[in-house]
This record gives sequence, C-alpha cells and structure tokens, in this order.
Amino acid sequence: MTPPIIPTDLIAPAFNPATFGQRGAVHEIFRRLRREYPLAVAEVPGFDPHWIVTRHADLREVTRQDKIFHSSDRSKTLASQLAEQLMREYTGGAPHIFKTLVHMDEPEHTQYRQVTQAQFMPQALDALDDRVRETARRHVDRMATLGDTCDFATDVAFLYPLEVIHDVIGIPREDHAQMLRLTQWLFTYADPDLCRPGANITDPAEIIKTWDIVYREFKDYYEGVIRDRRACPRHDVASLIANGTVNGCPMDERAMISYYVIASTAGHDTTSATTAMSMWVLAENPPLLEKLKANPALILGFVEESIRWATPVQQFVRSAAEDYTLRGQQIRKGDLLYLSYVSANRDEEVFEDPYEFRPERSPNRHIGFGFGGHVCLGQHLARREMRAFWEELIPRLQSVEMADEGRMAESEFVCGPKSVPIRFRMN
Amino acid sequence: MRQPGQRRWQCNTCSEIYDEARGLPEYGIAAGTRFEDLPDDWECPMCGTPKSDFSLLDE
Repeated sequence: MTPPIIPTDLIAPAFNPATFGQRGAVHEIFRRLRREYPLAVAEVPGFDPHWIVTRHADLREVTRQDKIFHSSDRSKTLASQLAEQLMREYTGGAPHIFKTLVHMDEPEHTQYRQVTQAQFMPQALDALDDRVRETARRHVDRMATLGDTCDFATDVAFLYPLEVIHDVIGIPREDHAQMLRLTQWLFTYADPDLCRPGANITDPAEIIKTWDIVYREFKDYYEGVIRDRRACPRHDVASLIANGTVNGCPMDERAMISYYVIASTAGHDTTSATTAMSMWVLAENPPLLEKLKANPALILGFVEESIRWATPVQQFVRSAAEDYTLRGQQIRKGDLLYLSYVSANRDEEVFEDPYEFRPERSPNRHIGFGFGGHVCLGQHLARREMRAFWEELIPRLQSVEMADEGRMAESEFVCGPKSVPIRFRMN
Repeated sequence: MRQPGQRRWQCNTCSEIYDEARGLPEYGIAAGTRFEDLPDDWECPMCGTPKSDFSLLDE
C-alpha cells in the first residue's frame, strides 16, 4: 500500500525554523495535519522522507518502544541530508555531533542514565528544596527592583532556571552567562537575535558548523571541571559525571562532554521557555492571576498546563529498526519518524478544548517531558523549580499586562519566547 | 494520612512515586488502593513503564 503523502506546501514550513517564530502558524499546520494527515509522509526537498507523527496516542506508542524505534542510528532531531552528511564527516561516522542520553539506545542509554539518575529522583531533590526556594525568592526580589516594566524572558525567565541547574551541576555563577550563550547558539542557531554572532543563518550547513563550535567550546570549559572533580570530588552532578563509569569503564570522551552539554543546556532552556510562556499567558489573562492568588493550590496545575502549552521540545526523530504497523500504516525498517510533541499536546482526542489554557486539567496527560524510557531525567527538578518560583511570585504580583508584542524564538527544535515585555506591579 | 501497612512504590524509569495512601484519584484510582490491587496491565501514567518495573520505596 502506498503511504499517504502530505502536500509539500503544507508540511515544508514545519521544517523551517522561521515558522516557529509565529506560534499560530505552527499550530495551524499541525491542527490540519491531525485532521487530514494524522500519520503520513513528508517529502520535503533536501530531507529524507519522514513519517510525521501528530497524534498523542501514536507518539506514546512509538516512544515506549525504544527497541523498535531507535534514537542512535540517525539524527535525533530534524536534519537535512546535507546536515546529516556533515555530522558524519565531523564525527568520523556518527549521525550526531553530541552523544547525549537523548541520542542513545539500550542498553547504553540506561547505563549512562544511571550515572546521575539518583540525583534527580524526588527523594534526592527534597534535600535541594530549600536552596531552590531561596533562589526563586531572590529572583522574585530582583524582579521587584526592575521598576514597572521588564522583558520577563530575558530579565527573569532566562536567568532563574539557568542558576538552579548550574548550582546542581556545580558551576560557579560567574560562568552562567557563558552557559546561556552557548545554549542559545545551540538551540536557536537560526534565530537572528540569539544565534552565534557571525553565523550565516542562510547557509544550510550553518547548524552543523555551529553545533561543532558549541561542542568544542563546552569541551574546552568542561575539561577543566573534569580534572578538578577527579582530583577533588564534591557533592555535585559535575563530580558524578567526571567520575562516572559505564560497565566499569570511564565514559568515552564525546559521551562525557555531551552529558555536561545536555545538563547545561536542556537543563534550563526548556524550563526558561515554559516559565516565559507562563508569564505571557498570565499577562494576557488577568482573571487567571486573580484565580491563582485566590487559590494558590492551583499553581501546581498552572505549572502542568504551562508545560503542555509551551511544549518547548517541538520534535524528535526516531528510525524504525524493524517493520511496524502504526495507525494502520506500514512503517518499514529504516523509515524516519518525526514525532511532533507540540501537535500531540494539542490533540483533540486527548485534551478537551486543547487551545484553551486550563490549569484545572486533571489529569493533564501532556507529554511535554516525553514518554517511555527517554522521558526527561530532570522533569522532577523542573516542576519543583517552577512551582517554587510561582509560589513566590504570585502572592506579590498585583497586576501584569503585556507592554508590547511577545516574540517567539525561531527554532524548529527547542522553542520558546525570546521576548515577553510586561508592565507589572508587585509588592 | 498514611495508614499502617500502606507503602510507596517508585517507577524505575521516571522515578514517579505511587503512594498507596493517596492513590491516583485523577486517574480513577481511589486513595488507599494497594499496589498489588492495581490491574496487571496498569502502567506508570508519566512514562508508560509497566507495573512490574516499579520498586518498593519504603515500608
């Protein structure tokens, strides 16, 4: 049976980072795909064909079967044929510049995950709660000194999760700005405001050039950290990674550097994006602020709904290791599947009125942290730090409104607001 | 409030905790439901890990 093909003019914009700068445009594409092409093939020039997986149930079915849908054989994120060819040239054959948990299959994935997993379990995070709360309070205090307007994204949301995760890793605060800069180069390589200075974002090879530069800059930085923590281990994640072993052996170099990279990037950028989006929603919805002030217990639901609403990780790509039937379609061994998390989290079959922001959703079945064996290792920390922040801010926030247009970053992978200008009053 | 004999179980994949005292009322599982009484095909609501891949967290 011939697979259904999505019209190129419908799907091609979803392969372009600039489209994600217009949130409505992206949602409109995937709303139509869920209705007309819930599981169909995109044949976009310059890219290998990809099955576009749009439905929540299908994403769960795929991501819970890591043995069938691999993460390591092909690029884990959307990559053009040229980009994947360059990655193999830069790495000596691997389809990824980075070798993080995200890019591994079993049993390697679990072996590497176990190096730090205990540190991110709820029982370990209990010991960090006071420190996270103090950090949240300090950032809220600082926001109160900014006057009656600020860009909440750059002045607050980019900075608070950055500090939380790097305190956990064990990176001094004077280096946090460098970590933020490299994160933005990595995830928003194509955004004219956030990309690496000097990057030619019209060059199809730019993404790989930038990722290779980011890898080498992180490597230069973390090699010193590794030496320090091997000589003098501390109670931090940097020490766990530096001294971590897999099957009794040290990690290979690219995997070790990449472990630091994912902690130093995905460990805050996704939470920053969600926090910035939360404020954007609040600023456009005055009754919501009143509702949260009147019922602080709803802040937990506010955080969950913000994760669904923001879905900062837009997509991952898997490759089929064997033939498989999904939603009645025949997936062939070697086929690529583009998993649209942003689509799954607006799926009408799962979420009533998915385009309404409802902190009361219960259960909130979003898969913003993923699903299956690759579910986000830092999800419990992310929830706790967002909860702490909003529990500190909401009682003090008397009013908030948008002072200008918010703007989304232009990124087809990790994406969130890059500017949330607000006018506000705090006590 | 946890009653004597009620326990907590933890997902080996995502570390989500099933607390018998609380149940999962949002998923239709009443407070006080013992882990053993969950259906055999029950799975972690956060990541889909099967019931058999949970570990006893505490007595």
